[in-house]
Amino acid sequence: MIDRRSVLKLGAASLAGALVGTSSPVLGAARADRPGFPGAAVFTSQHQEGLAFADELRARRVAALSAGNDIAQLWYGHLEAGRAQRAPIAGLTERATLFCLEELARSAGMRVLYRVDHLIDEHGNAQHSAVGPAWVVQAASKLTPKSAFGREMALLASQFEFPDAPSPAAVKRTGPFAPGNKIALVSWMIA
Amino acid sequence: MVLPPNVSEADFNAALNEFRSAVGPNWTFTSDEDVALYRDSYSINWGEPEERVASAAVAPAKVEEVQQVVRTANKYRIPLYPISTGRNLTYGGSAPTMRGSVVVDLKRMNRILEVDEKRAFALVEPGVSYFDLYNYIRERNLNLMLDVPDPGWGSPMGNSLDHGAGYTMSQFRDHFGSHCGMEVVTPEGELLRTGMGAIPNAETWQEFRYGAGPNVDGLFAQANFGIVTKMGFWLMPMPEAFLSGTVTAPRHQDLEALVHEVSYLEDLGLTGMPQYGSPVAQGNAVASLMQNGWPSSEAVEKFVASQNRPAWSVQLYFYGPEETVRATWQAAKRRFGKAIAGAAFQDGEFLTLPIPREKEPTQSDKPRLGIPALEVFNMVARNPLNTNDPPDGHADLFVTIPRKAAALWESSRVLYEAHREVGMPARYSPFSTPFTYYSRCFWTGTTVPTWRDPAKNARSRELFAKVMERCAEHGWVGYRTNPAFQDLLISKYSFNNHALLRFQEKLKDAIDPNGIMSPGRYGIWPPAMRKGRA
Repeated sequence: MIDRRSVLKLGAASLAGALVGTSSPVLGAARADRPGFPGAAVFTSQHQEGLAFADELRARRVAALSAGNDIAQLWYGHLEAGRAQRAPIAGLTERATLFCLEELARSAGMRVLYRVDHLIDEHGNAQHSAVGPAWVVQAASKLTPKSAFGREMALLASQFEFPDAPSPAAVKRTGPFAPGNKIALVSWMIA
Repeated sequence: MVLPPNVSEADFNAALNEFRSAVGPNWTFTSDEDVALYRDSYSINWGEPEERVASAAVAPAKVEEVQQVVRTANKYRIPLYPISTGRNLTYGGSAPTMRGSVVVDLKRMNRILEVDEKRAFALVEPGVSYFDLYNYIRERNLNLMLDVPDPGWGSPMGNSLDHGAGYTMSQFRDHFGSHCGMEVVTPEGELLRTGMGAIPNAETWQEFRYGAGPNVDGLFAQANFGIVTKMGFWLMPMPEAFLSGTVTAPRHQDLEALVHEVSYLEDLGLTGMPQYGSPVAQGNAVASLMQNGWPSSEAVEKFVASQNRPAWSVQLYFYGPEETVRATWQAAKRRFGKAIAGAAFQDGEFLTLPIPREKEPTQSDKPRLGIPALEVFNMVARNPLNTNDPPDGHADLFVTIPRKAAALWESSRVLYEAHREVGMPARYSPFSTPFTYYSRCFWTGTTVPTWRDPAKNARSRELFAKVMERCAEHGWVGYRTNPAFQDLLISKYSFNNHALLRFQEKLKDAIDPNGIMSPGRYGIWPPAMRKGRA
């Protein structure tokens, strides 16, 4: 059975390489009844990594929703309805999407539990920086500038477990704005 | 954990226990990770000792619980800071004005108590958002239009109490101006209703604002005299149609006549919020004009003549039956054509209202149609003008200037010079355009970047203070500001040795003897914290 600790171990070798071949329907079925399993996912359709993130989570039977242009449609039309269950919401989006969802989620008593920022330069090289539980930070540290991180972040999200003591460090880490000469994406979990 | 000033840990813990008894253990938040949610995302003091962070938060679900929280706060001298949805970013967000205050989060009081379609009003609780009210109206096919701010995620109550504004007709886009009737928990825990609400069983609470005697509603806006728990709003009947049109004026000197004609239409209630623009200033063309500093009016006209584009534009928006919006646009064209030689016109969008729900997602300019949206975040986040090192937020400083061309010219020049004084980019030119949220004045101002970096924030605070000082020298002062600058702002309202503030302080001392309600909000402090201020 693949669990969070397995991800850590595998991450030390190659997070992506180890899990890419996993039968996703099996993994999805095995994980879906865990409290930390994402109830929904949000992705940017403007970037390949966002699409890969969505594909991977859909394979695990997670409803993956495109962020679109107006986060209000997403929150009030879809995500808010599930707030009573406080099911985790995973994402790989632009900063502005996370910024809006984080503010909206406060009213539902939900907060960002981890985030991995991906800053992609004009050559396609990505810098990754993670904040949150140690196992997330460690797993993200294995990402390389050329990693296909969308799929890897989906796998990370599918392994999520509620931390015993959430860290405030992941909360409100940046504003909505992105640099003009880079693509600023962020993977996150709100619960 | 941050403690409230001058409160012992024992007293604070005792108060928290009483809060838990009042609202339930799950609705009193004291852990660092919970309290962190109330930090101001756009704080200009992020991570510094001066950052206005809460000590705890408490979320009552009904009026009686609010009263109990207030009584406990009095007992232990705990400062409270109420928020409705806490989304007035750039003006403090969900963070308190004074560090260590307990945020009273009213999100659970989210009932839409009444929407009367024929009498065109709503009565709501604090936690009702614009989206909530909009969906309520549309799901019931009520023939009403909201006036919404942009972004539209705040609450009608919070936005109006902070003097926020929207985009449609002037009597509705002044959100406090369109309120009618309040219910308030006073700082001593008593419940009062204003206007006709003070009359038991009155049916006109949301129809006649004043009642008889002094009207006190204004005391509860941008202030600290109570916690508003219900509030009524006048709504616009859903117009049958919407029409936009653009007027252009060829010369820079035409602005005076353009403003006059637009004001005529606005003051008669014939157009919604006008949107001024400057076609000649689009792109980087104006950079050459500004390369040697602020230009003369002669140089400006010469520049305009060389560009083959009009100096000014204004978009007008008409609401009403199709016959009247088309006729009004025709009348507007006639008047502008007579007043401005070379004025030109372009017909804009015509829409039959309401917009079908399935078409809402792709509808442009939603706020002008009363549709709340958050698209603005994506627009600014992807803005190509963002630098390689984008800020994390901004602190807006809008100052009120006279509704005339000369004032716009002079205020733009002053803002330009103030930015240059502190070595910051100055994006002002003789073609800067005004904000027109309030119909009887212009606003101009600046958007100061805020960061997670204290050193950068120090520069931003320097710029903010400089702009405020320079503008105040001309009588242009903000109507609303970030908590970090509320004392400075209020110090500018200094007529007769600050008589207005001294009067407000007398009221504060009488109404809130323990000083527990939002200490320091808009410069009004309890006596013990007043020394050295104003």
